[in-house]
Parts: sequence; C-alpha cells; structure tokens
Amino acid sequence: MDESDQREADTMTDTQWPVYEVFHQQARGEPHIHIGSIHATDPEMALLLAKEQYTRRQACVNLWVVPEGAITASSYEDDDIFQRGTDKSYRESWGYKTPKTVKVTDRPETKT
Amino acid sequence: MNPIETLDALEGMTRDAVIDLLYRMADDELVIGHRDSEWTGLAPILEGDIAFSSMAQDEIGHAQAYYEMLHALGEPDPDTLAFTRKAREFRCASLVSLPKRDWAFSVMRQFLYDAAETVRLTALSSGTLVPLAQLATKLRGEEKYHLMHGRTWVLRLGRGTEESREKMQHALALAYPCALALFEPTEADEVLAQADICPREDQLRREWESAVAPVLEQAGLIVDPSLRPVNGGRVGRHSEALSQLIESLQLVHSIDPTAKW
Repeated sequence: MDESDQREADTMTDTQWPVYEVFHQQARGEPHIHIGSIHATDPEMALLLAKEQYTRRQACVNLWVVPEGAITASSYEDDDIFQRGTDKSYRESWGYKTPKTVKVTDRPETKT
Repeated sequence: MNPIETLDALEGMTRDAVIDLLYRMADDELVIGHRDSEWTGLAPILEGDIAFSSMAQDEIGHAQAYYEMLHALGEPDPDTLAFTRKAREFRCASLVSLPKRDWAFSVMRQFLYDAAETVRLTALSSGTLVPLAQLATKLRGEEKYHLMHGRTWVLRLGRGTEESREKMQHALALAYPCALALFEPTEADEVLAQADICPREDQLRREWESAVAPVLEQAGLIVDPSLRPVNGGRVGRHSEALSQLIESLQLVHSIDPTAKW
C-alpha cells in the first residue's frame, strides 16, 4: 500500500477529529519540514496538541499546522512525470567544466 | 530591598518562611502531577493523552526542582520527601488531591491550577530571592504552555454542546472552592512579603481571580460568588483522597525501599 492509498484508508475508517498535517522548524531561518499529522477539532487545538506530539524530544522554534484537505498532491500513477527522458546534466553545476582560461581565486564552500 | 543571592544567606524567620513556601509549591506539583498522570492511556483522544501526560511530567519535574532546593536548605533529599512522608505531612492544597473524576473536571482543575502557578511564578521571578527567582523564570515557558492548554480546552468545552457546558459548569463548581485554597493564608505570608520574596497570598489570589474570570466568562461559565475556599491543606488537614493517592505513589518504595527504577 503506498502513501496515498494509506491516507485514503485512514480517512475512510477515521471516526476521529479532522486531520492536520504538521510541519516543524528546528531553527529560525531553516525551512519548515513535514513531520507527521495529528487529529484536532480546529487549528488552534491542532497547534496545541502538535506541540507535545512532535516537539517532546526534538528542537523546535516554530510549528505550522495545515488542514489535510488544503494540500493538493500529485498522483503516484503519474510519477513518470518526474523522470528525465534525456540527459539534463546541463541543469546541474557538475554538468559544466571550468574553462582553463578561467582562474578560480576564491572558491565558495560547496554545500553537500 | 536587597537581593538575597544564595540560599545559604537565608536566616531565621525568613529561612523558615521560604522552606514553608517551597513545601507548599513542591507538594502541589507532585500531587497534581500524579493526578494528571492518571489519565495516561485513558484520555479521550490519543493526542490529548500525550499532551496531558507530558504536562504531568512537567509538574513532577517542578516538584523535584523545589524538593532539591529544600534539600539545599537542610531538608531531607527529594526521594525521602516524596516517598516516606505521611499524608498529613504534605502541605498541598485541597484542589490537587481531588480524584480525577471526568475529563471536564481534570481539564478545569488543570486550567485553574496552572493559572495560579503562572501568577505565583511571575511574582517569584521578580522577587528578591535570586535562586528561586531564577528557577521561577526557567519554569515559566512550560507554564505558559500549560495555561494555553487549559484555556483552549475550557473554551472549547464551555462553548461546545449543552452536555459539555453542563459538565464544565459542574466541574467549575467543584473545583473553584478548592482552587481558592491554593491561596490559603499562612504564617509565612507576612515574612515573605516583607522580604519581597513572594507577595501575600491574598494579593496572589486577587491576581489569579482577575486572570481566570475573563476566560470563564468567555467560556460561558458562571462562578458562584458565595463559594468559599476549602482550606486546611497548608497545615496538613487533607481529605481521604490524599491518603489514597500517597499510598499509591509510595507503593513501590514501601515494598522495597532500596528498589531502583
């Protein structure tokens, strides 16, 4: 069962409160990352309960909660749209050689 | 008033008054933490269960911090204080020892209690006893969350269905007189207020009343003005409910005092 089927199954058998998706931010300036979901009556309650559910152990400076229904997702059946039909290395920095005539003086640190 | 930089600098009546205050605060925290933990695995919804259990752990953590401060003032160590005292030696208020009853009652109690704790910690954090002011400041973040939790639930259930409103109104009528007892006057009041360590209990009570009133009103709940505090806890007079709780809390220790867990 893939993730979208699982979500559908959860919703179908769900007799609990509405589902909110939870995103946490571990430090200011960092992106908010999806960490799970939670049942809650409304957004304020979702924030309140997500705080204990998802920040008991990990560092957190900010939480987002989003009603599950507000998220529009692509279909796994269409995941071939993400595949690259031809060589797209020109979209990557490693797809280029530094010409010999260019002198690299101050190389910025590369992010891995 | 000059700040008192260390616990060792406390002397005479002031020292005794601080010890009295710390016992009241620590015992309230330990007992309500134990009561709140009775919901672990039983709360109406999983997420609510986790939040309530976490808050129970917070309160017991606060109790431990106050017991450690008492130990630094020459009292027995935290485990001895928690696991060997008789119910009548505890100084907690009647509110915290009441059985957990239903979710409405436990949520109402949690709200009233944490509003009181917030008022007290806010006052202590600007008090002259530096180690206690620092501890109070450190604990206020957790208390802020507890108050958000209590307020959110009280408003939801107060304004929910007719049934939820009735249950909350009933819970309020039961809990309020015992919550007033959190501010039972003691002989330490005047000494603590004179030293600017902690305001008098009647002043804290007024601050608490003006903090909880708007939330209760917004929740559509009515406080009967004729309710009087159920005092006695601060001098060791408790209901049978506390004896039962203490027995359960000390069960493992009483079977095997050397047990480690």
